[in-house]
Amino acid sequence: MIRKGLAGGSFQPLTKESISRIHQTVMRVIEEVGFEVNSETALQLFEQAGARVDREERRVRLPQTKAQELIKTAPPEVGLCGQEEKHDVLLGGNRVYTGTGGTALYIYEPDTNQKRPATLEDLKRIAKLVDRLDNIHLFMLPTYPHELPIEQVDVNRFFAGLDNTTKHVMGGVYTLDGVKQVIRMAEMAAGSAEELRQRPLISMIACSISPLKMDAQYGDLVVEIARSGIPLVCPAEPLCGATSPVTLAGNLVIQTADSLMGVMLTQIVKPGTPVIFGSVATNTDLRDLKYLAGSVEMGLLNAAGAQMAQFYRLPFYATGGMTDSKVLDAQSGYESAITNLLCALAGANFIHDAAGLMEFALTACYEKFVIDNEILGMVMRAVDGIKVNDDTLAFDLIKEVGPGGNFVTAKHTRRFMRSEHYQPFLSDRNSREEWEAKGEQATWEKAGEIAQRLIAEHVYRLPTAVRQQILSEIKGIVD
Amino acid sequence: MTEDIISLIRENVIQGRVTQDDEGVEGGMVGQPGVLELTEKALAMGINIRDIINKGLTGGMDVVGKKFETKEYFIPDMLASAEAVGTAMEMLEPYLAKSGIKAKGKVIMATVKGDHHDIGKNIVSILLRGAGYTVKDLGNDIEPQTIVNAVREEKPQFLGLSALLTSTMTGMQDTIKALEESGFRDRVKVIIGGAPVSEEFAQSIGADGYGADGFQALAVIRSLTATG
Repeated sequence: MIRKGLAGGSFQPLTKESISRIHQTVMRVIEEVGFEVNSETALQLFEQAGARVDREERRVRLPQTKAQELIKTAPPEVGLCGQEEKHDVLLGGNRVYTGTGGTALYIYEPDTNQKRPATLEDLKRIAKLVDRLDNIHLFMLPTYPHELPIEQVDVNRFFAGLDNTTKHVMGGVYTLDGVKQVIRMAEMAAGSAEELRQRPLISMIACSISPLKMDAQYGDLVVEIARSGIPLVCPAEPLCGATSPVTLAGNLVIQTADSLMGVMLTQIVKPGTPVIFGSVATNTDLRDLKYLAGSVEMGLLNAAGAQMAQFYRLPFYATGGMTDSKVLDAQSGYESAITNLLCALAGANFIHDAAGLMEFALTACYEKFVIDNEILGMVMRAVDGIKVNDDTLAFDLIKEVGPGGNFVTAKHTRRFMRSEHYQPFLSDRNSREEWEAKGEQATWEKAGEIAQRLIAEHVYRLPTAVRQQILSEIKGIVD
Repeated sequence: MTEDIISLIRENVIQGRVTQDDEGVEGGMVGQPGVLELTEKALAMGINIRDIINKGLTGGMDVVGKKFETKEYFIPDMLASAEAVGTAMEMLEPYLAKSGIKAKGKVIMATVKGDHHDIGKNIVSILLRGAGYTVKDLGNDIEPQTIVNAVREEKPQFLGLSALLTSTMTGMQDTIKALEESGFRDRVKVIIGGAPVSEEFAQSIGADGYGADGFQALAVIRSLTATG
């Protein structure tokens, strides 16, 4: 049983009043403080849309009414499609989906306890693995192929995704030309330009710089992607005490304002552009300003971000499920579990980074994708909650079995045991004796075996004709 | 009385209080004189500047450094203390020569062209000021030529270059090249820092030093001061 797109929302760290106060502060920031916009194209677009622009400071301030108008033109739901329809997702409301995230530079190998630079081959193998892990619903390109020059990175990353998994492929992008080539490639995979817009097999990400700043390259990228009609995520990454106030509420103000800046820009380019409001908010270790990826505050911030997205009626891209641990130990498990759980219970639409990442998101690990897939299965079960009706209350059955009886042989048990209880595929539930007899495997060892088996069994490839067309028309793809 | 005011300066450096408006580590100290007011008072009382600096300001910073190492203090604590010392040193600057105290030297700081990240550079600047160096901060996204011009005009002993992105770290190399081409490379020691760079990278582009964090940057500058 695969659980996805279930309604979350049982966990609400913000009250209605808190949401309203954050919103009012965000609007004041947008109107009174404004954003520094270093992309000339973006600056002109904001100006044409009625923003007050201070050319000298490159500062853009939007009247609250205008800002709210722009936010309202963004669609409340964005559909992301897979090459197989069973993998389609519809982000919006409080429906919960999970996915990988990036972009890690290294691969950790637990059997040698070493890490090494990630290659294109790793990306292909991870795509094959994630294709087979059912609790990971979307494939975001998780690693950066270090051996390729930057001009070849975008096309090779997206090709590795499209050619190895039928799940939706999302990814960060690095060059304007790369964006154009990737869209052409996806059009070929979808059948035509038209069909790609109807069933977007890919989506892209372009970040702002917190606090309140859009750099030239990313401003241009946002405009280019919005013009193309490909779904776009505009996340912001404010860090408590470094690039936002140290308080969680202050961080939420910056995250909301920064992500809305991107959302508004896409709506100026073209009203109705499919755009996803996003958060990569977290805190820092204020002893050395390191970015933290596994803190409980990160879970709270992204859960609250989901509530803000629901308030603005925008689809939401949350961040959760990572760890700062360097190995696959207890910390690695509890940090990934807690952050994923908080986001999911809050109804975050797309929890990205939910699997496979460790060490401040610098490093990916095959075994960890498998471990996190198990965590996500449990998390989605928690989202599913407890169904209460005549069938599940089972009064008639209780009456029938009576005092001192048992429920093992009841039809009711067989009818509900699979849907009511999550079936682990990794967790060890053997007795100690059985566990010893089976080789005393640690979780990561078992996860490693599963990963190898799934990758070896994997068979998907793009249809031959499409593959040939892409390889002959898009330059620089390493097959 | 002399001892009292110097120990007060020391204590307020530890508390990270620049002026009387600052709260201190645990809060509740607003209204009591801070390092700036106390240093002014000490000057007016004719207390030896060397004692103000060595026993008061530097003495306080030594304690702060220890508290940071033992994880009692966070970076913002350290920065507040460094700012208090830096502000006091600025005020004392006109009197240093008269007291026979040699200035530590001048550092120009910049984040290189194409890069808009400046938190790291700003932290290093505050720590350097706190250690008694004069710092001229050019800002971020700075062209090599602008940096060369500043080196020509300001005649610093050190140049600190920062970058956060792998795509902009080459700006450091461009800056060093521009210094070489204009004949100013020998007049200044170049220290680099930022997430993507390393000791190895520093050597490969011909920089004089690399600081993995603010404290290392300070240590590198100190060692280059001693040798150079």
